[in-house]
Amino acid sequence: MNPFTYTRASDAAQAVSSVTAKPKTKFLGGGTNLIDLMKMGVETPAQLVDIGRLPLAQVEELTDGKGVRIGALARNSDVAAHPLIQQRYPVLSQAFLAGASPQLRNMATVGGNLMQRTRCYYFYDPAFPKCNKRNPGSGCGALEGYNRIHAILGQSEQCIATNPSDMNVALAALDAVVRVQGPKGEREIPIADFHRLPGSTPNVDTNLQADELIVAVDLPAIPFATRSHYLKVRDRASYAFAIVSVAAILEIGIDKKITSARVALGGVAHKPWRAQKAEKELIGKSADEKTFRAAAEAELAAAKGYKHNEFKIELAKRSIVRALSTVAALA
Amino acid sequence: MPAGILDTSPAIGKPLARVDGKLKVTGAARYSAEFARPKLAYAVLIQSTIANGRVSKMDLAAAQAAAGVVGILTRENAPRFKPYPDDLTKIGAPGESRVPLQDDQVHWVGQHLGVIVAESFEEATHAASLPRVQYEDAPPILAMNEDRAGQNALQPEKLQVKRGDVDAALASVAARIDVTYTTPIENHNPMEVYSTTAEWEAADRVLIHESTRGIKQLQKIVANAFGLPLDNVRIVCPFVGGAFGSKGFQWSHTLLAAAAAQLVQRPVKLTFTRPQMFDSAGQRARTQQKFSMGASRDGKLIALRHATTTHASPVSGWVETCGTMSQKLYSCPNIDVTHRLLKLNLTSPCPMRGPGEAPGVFALECAIDEMAHKIDLDPLEFRLRNYAETDENENKPWSSKKLRECYKRGAEKFGWSKRNRKPRSMQAKNGDLIGYGMATAVYPAAQQPAGAIAILNKDGTVVVRSATHEIGTGTYTAMSQFAADALGLPLEKVRFELGDSQFPLAPNNGGSWLTASVAPAVMGACAELKKKVTELAGAWPNDAAALANLFERAAQNEITAEFKSEPNKEERAKFSFQSFGAIFVEAHVDSLGQARIKRVAAVYDVGRMVNPRLARSQMMGGITFGIGMALMEATLPDENMGRVLNANLAEYHVPVCADAPEFEIDFINEPDPHMSDLGARGVGEIGIVGVPAAVANAIFHATGKRVRDLPITLDKLI
Repeated sequence: MNPFTYTRASDAAQAVSSVTAKPKTKFLGGGTNLIDLMKMGVETPAQLVDIGRLPLAQVEELTDGKGVRIGALARNSDVAAHPLIQQRYPVLSQAFLAGASPQLRNMATVGGNLMQRTRCYYFYDPAFPKCNKRNPGSGCGALEGYNRIHAILGQSEQCIATNPSDMNVALAALDAVVRVQGPKGEREIPIADFHRLPGSTPNVDTNLQADELIVAVDLPAIPFATRSHYLKVRDRASYAFAIVSVAAILEIGIDKKITSARVALGGVAHKPWRAQKAEKELIGKSADEKTFRAAAEAELAAAKGYKHNEFKIELAKRSIVRALSTVAALA
Repeated sequence: MPAGILDTSPAIGKPLARVDGKLKVTGAARYSAEFARPKLAYAVLIQSTIANGRVSKMDLAAAQAAAGVVGILTRENAPRFKPYPDDLTKIGAPGESRVPLQDDQVHWVGQHLGVIVAESFEEATHAASLPRVQYEDAPPILAMNEDRAGQNALQPEKLQVKRGDVDAALASVAARIDVTYTTPIENHNPMEVYSTTAEWEAADRVLIHESTRGIKQLQKIVANAFGLPLDNVRIVCPFVGGAFGSKGFQWSHTLLAAAAAQLVQRPVKLTFTRPQMFDSAGQRARTQQKFSMGASRDGKLIALRHATTTHASPVSGWVETCGTMSQKLYSCPNIDVTHRLLKLNLTSPCPMRGPGEAPGVFALECAIDEMAHKIDLDPLEFRLRNYAETDENENKPWSSKKLRECYKRGAEKFGWSKRNRKPRSMQAKNGDLIGYGMATAVYPAAQQPAGAIAILNKDGTVVVRSATHEIGTGTYTAMSQFAADALGLPLEKVRFELGDSQFPLAPNNGGSWLTASVAPAVMGACAELKKKVTELAGAWPNDAAALANLFERAAQNEITAEFKSEPNKEERAKFSFQSFGAIFVEAHVDSLGQARIKRVAAVYDVGRMVNPRLARSQMMGGITFGIGMALMEATLPDENMGRVLNANLAEYHVPVCADAPEFEIDFINEPDPHMSDLGARGVGEIGIVGVPAAVANAIFHATGKRVRDLPITLDKLI
């Protein structure tokens, strides 16, 4: 761990201005990922600005039925247990509870979860010389290395890392909006535009600017999101990153036909993967296994596997079918 | 020991709670990293980042200039440690055959190149990232198929066993299988990482707090390396926070911590990080096990070949002895067991959770299941038809073997008769496939020399001491039970102490022999004390007046008696000593390839039960290890660099609570008549043995897929 200075922000504006004054600054939320990365020597900030005491931990209903706002510093465990989330967005509550361990969820914040970095082995350990994400231009260690946990959709030859978050997958399905504050005030970033695909700049994970602070996440009102499910496929029953995960929301008419569908995948791409091709396949069809399989096939048609993760393509298809079947069976 | 005492004893055999339980759950039990010392400095390792080659230059300028640094130990200023004694390297301990910092060779990634000592752990950690090390690197040998023209391959002589003629027999058998099983590198990952605190009490006397289950061995190693008399080295370790095979061999960090303390003339603490648990202190090596098996039409084993290839580092000769149980677990006239050891540029291996037996019996018990399936016989029936009435390898009777009873009772408890033999024939309501699998458990019942001292204090309490270890298995409790019963005192009147090299000899804690070895010494010392006191006082003093009278007559502040116990060589020569068990497992596999174990029934024959509560805990732990080994555990070295990819507990998967099954555990609980006075063969590693095979066999039964490569992760089942 490199030496760094530590300050505590008194309000959001001061937090933002401290970055302007000292560019190699990171905001410290729960610290469950950032501190790990600092210990590993992956993150080497010169300054940590602790935002932990800013009043940004509320979960509250927006006026005029516009949905729910989650403060950036709300703890993962608190959001998972919040009645508004459990009742209106069960997929999000389930995603939180599927993530990490109780100890980590008690510390981790919503804003920090959005900023969680990849678990790619070659990124996480600076002793590996090749990683375009950590060290642009150095190559990709995973391409020729062990790539069981890596991406099958939207990756580039520069980077095949995946986003490790469960929360992000549910947020993608829910069309969440990330509210950020910068030197010029607040702006909104739709979740689909928040995380990036790697392309030729895998070192840039998100479209958040260095001097912008996440203050909240807004969930739009989606009445049919009560019929939703988060499926996480993993190597042990708890406390493991997703190999594949699916956030699924279905609106089914009285004629048993699907009228709306939201599907997002985790563990397969550099960002939470909104499965729009699958959604398109679902609309207007009857909610049965045949429809779900066709949707899964459509979404994964463009998938590409590597030496150790070829299995993820079939696994993702079956996971989509399983998640949608589970949602369809809900009352 | 008066005859019959064990059968009527108030403590032995009872499910007593741990005498140190409260200390542990309240945090009062002190582990090795928790001994504060005045002026303590902190050491952090400098480690190699290449797997093969030599260090050509170490630029330490930045580290020397870093805040808080008080000293740097490297090859340049390290003491000239004397080589490890032959009698230790011969048996594989210490984990490496060469002492640290005496040469510039690098044999694996993470090898210790020095230590930085600083005022704080944080400063030392930062400074340890600053040395610029230049290497002349050579291509590392990392893969199990890299037998470079035999140059890096050994065939240890005593591990090659032949009986009959396997090739001739296989040529004419009614049914044969030829298959290969593989198991990955695994790391022990106890909750407590290694920690050493070294303090020179005088120029030639050192006190070391170390997380070790080899106190006497470590004392010898440190004394030898520094050229000190044995008594000038004191090793203290009252609690070990889990070992699972680690902390038995001695690794270079202990010598480095002691040398660093000498260098800076202050007490020094060196505590591993979690990633260092993967490259600095042993692991289970990979195994590749080729099996050929032949059987007759009526289900009699005719021939068995078990050829193991495994690996050690260039400076270690430890062999994962997979074939030992294949020589004797079943009756079979033609046997060919071989072991080949490759020297690879990977961390030195060492024992781990049933070394040899865990991966070896996985292969054997899967092969038995495969053969039973091939000849369409119930796998339990196939085992019974090949039941070994004697140890055919050593040509000796068993000291005691109740495996038939284990099979019978286990099958009843589990409901084995409800199994439909056809794979993919059983389904849960949610559509998951259900499989029933079983396997035999077996582990040698060894015994070692040990000593103990019993001391009667003026207040009427008795303290019993032996240089043994508490690694979480309940030594304090079990030995207190023995002492109390041997003295005829209530448990509260005795206190057992361990974990100090100044106490009488005890063996390394391992091989499931602790109780069988140390208990006879404890009981012997207590019996001697009782005799001595009774002779002095006429009877054991039960009140203050009698005590005062006794101590006045003895003219001493304490009355002591010592005892040394030895394994009974005659019995050992006559019989083969093994513990046995039968494991039954129910696995569920879903359409995504996720396998989960729902329930396990296991029945063990380990001789007499000392404390059924502790024994059950150990078996639950062992079975859970076995589930981990079967389904998730694997250390992943990068194929090109040899560096471990998943050196953390988030990605090196061990079972979490949600992975634990329902347990039904039982013991035959009949004393072994040839196993000392005690009749207890030891409960320990047998808990893991057989479980990986039972799981793999259950998964085959559920899915029809025979996965021979551990761990059985979902990508192999989808």
